[in-house]
Amino acid sequence: MSSVGATEPLGTTPTGPALQVAEARRGVGADLWRAVAHNRKAVVGVALLTFFLVLALFPGQIAPDDPMAEIYSPGLGPSIHHWFGTTAYGQDILSQLIWGTRQSVVIAFAVGGLATAIAVLVGVSAAYLGGIADGVLSLITDVILVIPIFPLIIVIAAYEKNAGLFTLVVVLGALGWSYGARQLRSQTLSLRNREFLEAARVRGERRFYVIIFEILPTMTSLIVASFLGAALYAVLFAAGLQFIGLGDPNSQSWGTMLYWAENNEALGANMVLWAIMPGVCVALLGAAFAFLNYAFDEISNPALRMRNLDRTRVSARRDLGFADVPLDSEKILEVRGLSVAYATHRDPVVAVDRVDFDLARGEFLGVVGESGCGKSTLLYAIAQLLGPPLSGEITEGQVIFKGRDMVTLSQRELRHIRWREFSVVMQSAMNALNPVLTIAAQMRDACEAHSGMSSKEIASRSKEVLRLVSIDPIHLDSYPHQLSGGMRQRAMIAMALLFTPDLIIMDEPTSALDVVAQRSLMVQIKQLQERLGFAAIFVTHDMSLVSHFSDRLLVMYAAQVAEFGETAQLFDKPLHPYSRGLLEAFPSIRGPKVELLGIPGLPPDLARPPAGCRFSPRCPHAIAECRVTEPRLLEVDGELVRCLLYENGARLDDHIVDTAMAVSPEAAG
Amino acid sequence: MSEPLLRTVGLTRHFRVGRLFFGRTLHAVDDVDLTIGSGEIVALVGESGSGKSTIARLLARVYKPTRGEIYFEGRPLSRLRSRRQRLAYSSDVPMVFQDPYSSINPAYRISHGIGRGIKLHRRDLSRGRRTEEVERVLDTVGLIPPRDVLRKFPYELSGGQRQRVGFAQALAFRPKLIIADEPVSMLDVSIRIGILNLMSRLREREGVSFLYITHDVASARYIADRVLVMYAGHLVEEGPTEDVLQRPKHPYTQLLVSAVPDPRAPLGISDEKDVGEPPKVIDPREGCRFQPRCPYAIATCEQVTPVLRELGPRRLVACHVAEADSQDRTGNPETVGDEPPPLSAEARA
Repeated sequence: MSSVGATEPLGTTPTGPALQVAEARRGVGADLWRAVAHNRKAVVGVALLTFFLVLALFPGQIAPDDPMAEIYSPGLGPSIHHWFGTTAYGQDILSQLIWGTRQSVVIAFAVGGLATAIAVLVGVSAAYLGGIADGVLSLITDVILVIPIFPLIIVIAAYEKNAGLFTLVVVLGALGWSYGARQLRSQTLSLRNREFLEAARVRGERRFYVIIFEILPTMTSLIVASFLGAALYAVLFAAGLQFIGLGDPNSQSWGTMLYWAENNEALGANMVLWAIMPGVCVALLGAAFAFLNYAFDEISNPALRMRNLDRTRVSARRDLGFADVPLDSEKILEVRGLSVAYATHRDPVVAVDRVDFDLARGEFLGVVGESGCGKSTLLYAIAQLLGPPLSGEITEGQVIFKGRDMVTLSQRELRHIRWREFSVVMQSAMNALNPVLTIAAQMRDACEAHSGMSSKEIASRSKEVLRLVSIDPIHLDSYPHQLSGGMRQRAMIAMALLFTPDLIIMDEPTSALDVVAQRSLMVQIKQLQERLGFAAIFVTHDMSLVSHFSDRLLVMYAAQVAEFGETAQLFDKPLHPYSRGLLEAFPSIRGPKVELLGIPGLPPDLARPPAGCRFSPRCPHAIAECRVTEPRLLEVDGELVRCLLYENGARLDDHIVDTAMAVSPEAAG
Repeated sequence: MSEPLLRTVGLTRHFRVGRLFFGRTLHAVDDVDLTIGSGEIVALVGESGSGKSTIARLLARVYKPTRGEIYFEGRPLSRLRSRRQRLAYSSDVPMVFQDPYSSINPAYRISHGIGRGIKLHRRDLSRGRRTEEVERVLDTVGLIPPRDVLRKFPYELSGGQRQRVGFAQALAFRPKLIIADEPVSMLDVSIRIGILNLMSRLREREGVSFLYITHDVASARYIADRVLVMYAGHLVEEGPTEDVLQRPKHPYTQLLVSAVPDPRAPLGISDEKDVGEPPKVIDPREGCRFQPRCPYAIATCEQVTPVLRELGPRRLVACHVAEADSQDRTGNPETVGDEPPPLSAEARA
């Protein structure tokens, strides 16, 4: 095999949301079956629909009688021979219901199919072609959407007396597609700039191929939803039309049954079931489509499958109560044995595993590690931002901020201190800022929600904080999209500074920026920190970024602290093999050019962390014991490091000589 | 001089912005002459909005140039008439995209994109040979075992693995030049080096040239033979990688180099005050486009657009104040970033 470069063996599954669905090995069919069987709505929907399909396919075999034969006494009550009684004409109601199923099912599928086909054609072409085509098609869609459909159908049906099945399908289909078309159009618009479509064009694909084979398959769930929605609507409308006598009165359908029942005043004439049962059938068939629609949504979108933590499978959370913590004026934040678990459809995933650290007033702490190592989760746990839509929960430990254990605070108490005493700056300012409000309006909202400042005070404070981050206050009236990426991130930081908090928690605030903007933002954060004296926790995957700015560094690997120490010392003499790997992972702009290897492999799946040391499968210095014994945090040179090679006063470098020959082949790739 | 693999002459792309009658013109790329040799890795560096990605899309024929011409193996692209000729070009010059999470169709298995490329561009291959070829390119980019990988869906792969799929898709065309548009900027730092190594080994083993587009000059130094620096639609400096990055002559290149975070060096201070970003070039006037941010700007810079001129062997710089090596007065050619640049006395005054 001629593999090139550092290979990434696929033995480990990536962590994160993909985990919940990453089981395609057994084939899509098996997966789908499992997903359906586990979803109650899907089971009910499939059962109902199957029931009606069987009735529709084999009415002759199932129905006890000819539905039109007037052979019994009229108006019989329910009995063993006539479960639902007989009509005023002496027909068996059960047989009529069974024979009537066929028409409703045919209408549902025909209208669903027709409406979806038109919706796909119009919606996708409008969005993909753009320009005038989009204008015209969207206009037609909108016009159809606002037409009051029921009156229109009545008018159409009045021209077409005793409308047959075909007319009904065409009319309902032609009027029922607009809602789906709008959804498909907006979905296509959001796809239009996705790079895989551009990739297909660069590859040389024709436009037709791109629409049919690249765009449509990604919208399966929306197309299915549009089909089910149209089918539901068709069943209800068809029954309604036939009920008011606009269908063929001799046809066999639930709506026609209702029509005759109403004409014979069935409700008053002791033939209640004649009127009720067709309605029940319509409702059940409609419910089948609605259930399937919901179920499909849930199955195709794992985010909707929220689960609660099964507490028996996580180490029980201690009853914390109010911690009796002595107020340490030097320490602003103390994190004690903090663990966070995410609920998944299998075992819970422990994303933060017993993390301890302190933060002094005005200290700058960098938290580094690769994606999927739990650093963002740690930050969310500290800020108490876990909970819907994130399914994580603190299972253990304390977060003591200025003497209060934040884990035990209520949402109201948290609201009171968030922004005012600590604030959070997220990774993407474009997502965190509201696109339809000006910067001034967003600052005003924040101030009003968290303080009783007057509007004059708010205005002057807003200007002040913008100046702090070197943004001209004229941008108060700008909308987020009018600012450049760097300015948006600086505006976010300005908002975090509104109340001069004691702690600012930052999640990769610079990672979306170019090097120059990134550097100037880092310098600015550091200057503000020195001037205003807030403490900062800064999360990043790029260790070099914080080298000049953080006082201490916390290196996280696979949910645990791998190394914790002074930044300068950690950069000079990294102890943990993982820290060394991170440090050597990026090329330098100076010095001799050396070939770098990075860290081969991926962080482990946190649902199934490897035995022994979690880094051992990727570690170039791992010894046999590393795969068995879980290392503890050791104190070495005033730092903390989780590595067996430092047990009993040994050093990593002592081992390197011994193990240089024995680098594990799969880790080295 | 023999004809390079790819050459552009006066490559220009403008976009109309604004309303019908009040339309203005955004100058995304202006008068760019660049060459890429056979088996060469050329880095195109600059910040977002500098026009790098527009150049990538011009070369990949997503956009048509407003002016200028692209010559591939000596033949102008504007003469490509038939679909067959255009397909031949797209198989010679494929593109790898920035965002590994949006550049693979999530509805298909990994084999889809690679297989389509082979089907479109190498029609002579039988179905069995096609699968073999898919496995071969996956193996080449280090996605092993290929038989398992090709059956996976994109969500089952990590970002780094997806980006390797992007390279596998390009390789399936048997390309001569791969345009890689910021292929590592969305990946974890620890994964980036693997992709960079992959690119340089593909060049060694498959003889592919690369246009590597990035804003990270350190990674450009790691793999590129030559560096082109772009600012606001203009090419402002070019030359051999070590030369340009160790002795940057254009003030913008100096700024870029000094902004690279480097724990092994003291904190550069030259850029602390610089919070500017590349401007959107709408209806530009004459003059240097970097002049508003430039600490060394002189009167000429406001009136005359600097053109690339030769300052040293294979070194081109578009700056009125930069000087050739022989007149370097700092006396220390090895300095970077933190030190004042080699500038004329006039500029310092």
